[in-house]
Amino acid sequence: MKKLIKLLKDKELNYLNQINDFIDPTCIYLPKDNNYQVNDYIYKNTFINNIPSSISGKIAKIEKRKFNNEDIFCYQIINDFKENAKNKIRKKSPKNKEELMNYLDLFHLTEIINKINEKGNLNNIVVCAVDEECYSFNEFISLSNYYNEIITTLNHLLEICVINNGFIATKNTDSGSIKKVKSILGTYPNIKMKLLPDLYLISYEEYLCSYLNIKKEETLIFNTNEILILYNALFKNRVLNEKIITISGNNIAKSLIIKTRIGTPLKEIIDKFIEIKDNNYNIFINGIYVGYQVTSFSDVIISPSIHTIIINKLVIEEETECLNCGACFKICPVNINVKKCYFEKMLSKKCLGCGLCNYICPANLKLKEVIKDGAYEEKNN
Amino acid sequence: MKKKTTKDIVIINIILLIPLIIYGIFKNGYLLYERNLIPFYIIFKPLYLTIISILIKFFFDFITTKKINVNYNLLYMILISMIMPYNINILVYIITLIITYLLTSLLETKFKFNKVALIYLIIILINSIFNGLTFQNPLESTASFNFSFLDLLMGRCIGGISSTSIIFSLLAYTLLINSYYYKKDMPLFINISYLFLSFIFYLITHNSDILLNSELIFASIFIAPLPKYSPYKVKGQVIEGILIGIISFIISILFNKVISIYISIFLVSLLANLSLKKNN
Repeated sequence: MKKLIKLLKDKELNYLNQINDFIDPTCIYLPKDNNYQVNDYIYKNTFINNIPSSISGKIAKIEKRKFNNEDIFCYQIINDFKENAKNKIRKKSPKNKEELMNYLDLFHLTEIINKINEKGNLNNIVVCAVDEECYSFNEFISLSNYYNEIITTLNHLLEICVINNGFIATKNTDSGSIKKVKSILGTYPNIKMKLLPDLYLISYEEYLCSYLNIKKEETLIFNTNEILILYNALFKNRVLNEKIITISGNNIAKSLIIKTRIGTPLKEIIDKFIEIKDNNYNIFINGIYVGYQVTSFSDVIISPSIHTIIINKLVIEEETECLNCGACFKICPVNINVKKCYFEKMLSKKCLGCGLCNYICPANLKLKEVIKDGAYEEKNN
Repeated sequence: MKKKTTKDIVIINIILLIPLIIYGIFKNGYLLYERNLIPFYIIFKPLYLTIISILIKFFFDFITTKKINVNYNLLYMILISMIMPYNINILVYIITLIITYLLTSLLETKFKFNKVALIYLIIILINSIFNGLTFQNPLESTASFNFSFLDLLMGRCIGGISSTSIIFSLLAYTLLINSYYYKKDMPLFINISYLFLSFIFYLITHNSDILLNSELIFASIFIAPLPKYSPYKVKGQVIEGILIGIISFIISILFNKVISIYISIFLVSLLANLSLKKNN
């Protein structure tokens, strides 16, 4: 396993240590399925394409929008601000793992169910509250603000799955959340707090388990968002249709952490909260290294997988000839022959998509885009 | 860790070469002037050669792209100026450098070889026709010195005009070693294999002449690991490094200690490319 590195922090970055609410969007967009048409009424928490509607209202039109970096047709649901919910899920809280799976299925939490099912013998559950890139504060803020809920849920999961080892892992630099978690941890003997060094990729399963000295195969890892989804399902009988997102970058006056509803157009949030310094900027979704770039805010919708929006000053990085320096090969955490894959246009299944090859490349080649995402196909077509 | 561009890497390398150039001015300029062997303006001959190289590079840049670029070609040109023999005629240097630079740039599109080593070898060949094959400065050719080991480490060996300081070369290596962009294994294995063989040779013949080769240390640190002409995998670097060390040792015994490293770097880079082509 390769040694992890510390990425350089953006010195121009600053943020407010509080969550701003934006839970009253005028409309939301959800990916179109074939069950609804224009003018149909959508109740709150109705599942459309496995995503819960976060508002109630009528479908006004069907338009193309950018959802998870794909341009797809979406229903535009106009908010009637009535919060009409049709089917409130009422069922007894689960007592064992099997009941838990059935229970989570009611909330369409397929990803979490698959995650639990993937592991055979569980011995540890880890809540990893680590923000990889310096532009994201979601995990830190969530742990800091919802530490009670997170610890309660973790403890409940440990009881249901009959496991004795629960961990809350956070970076050793997040002093605010460390203090809060430690203040109540005494009442939960099965939960330990683990402090991790501020290194890039530390939250990746392999590295995290290695640092915590636990076996990967026996460990279930959740982030704080997943734990909050579970908290709402297990303790509140409700689907979590809100999300905490960070909007940061060196081209905005102040980075903000915003609680918003799934399906909200990003433009609405930007217009309300964000003061952009310069008109020339780059927009990155979910991180500079692991995420993707978009050209404007107007089409972007807050999907369940979006957690960070970065607005940075425009930097034009011209691609030059490969130097054959081998830095990409040296830095790759999974030892991919990056240069070979790039020039032979090979996709790599091993690729984590961490973006370190792009970060290190002095010739500014878009290596990750070719190796992980197969961007060459688009270029060739 | 901060991301570096090609320009940054080149500038770092150039900064690391500055102490060597300054030492070159001291050894091949000041010390000679002090003994009245050269006029004052010749003190800065190492610097003149470097400036000429830079100007030629920028001239070609301007002709081809209408702007001045800080790229690896600039580093190549500076390195070439530093490894020239003291007796190089400036006019011969300018003409040969322009021709060989153009020629190698054309050849490079068909073959991959270490451009710096080839340009150097061609210039040395042409210069030797006019001035003979010698690397001694006027002081070294007129007197015999009994230098201490420290003097030799500082750079009092016979070699290129600004490339003899072993201390500064090693210092640069220790600074480059942590860089993701530097192929640190190659210099290590060149020197290990060369030292191993020359030490055995010394044990057999009691001839210590080839043991300390400042040119080999300089070229192994700055020229052999040039990214474009060397493998990026550790295994490749080790194999090429050992090969360069062995060939350098053989040429040092049979022909010339100073240019041995350049011949071997050129040959190995050419061979590596040919074997790669054959495998494909």
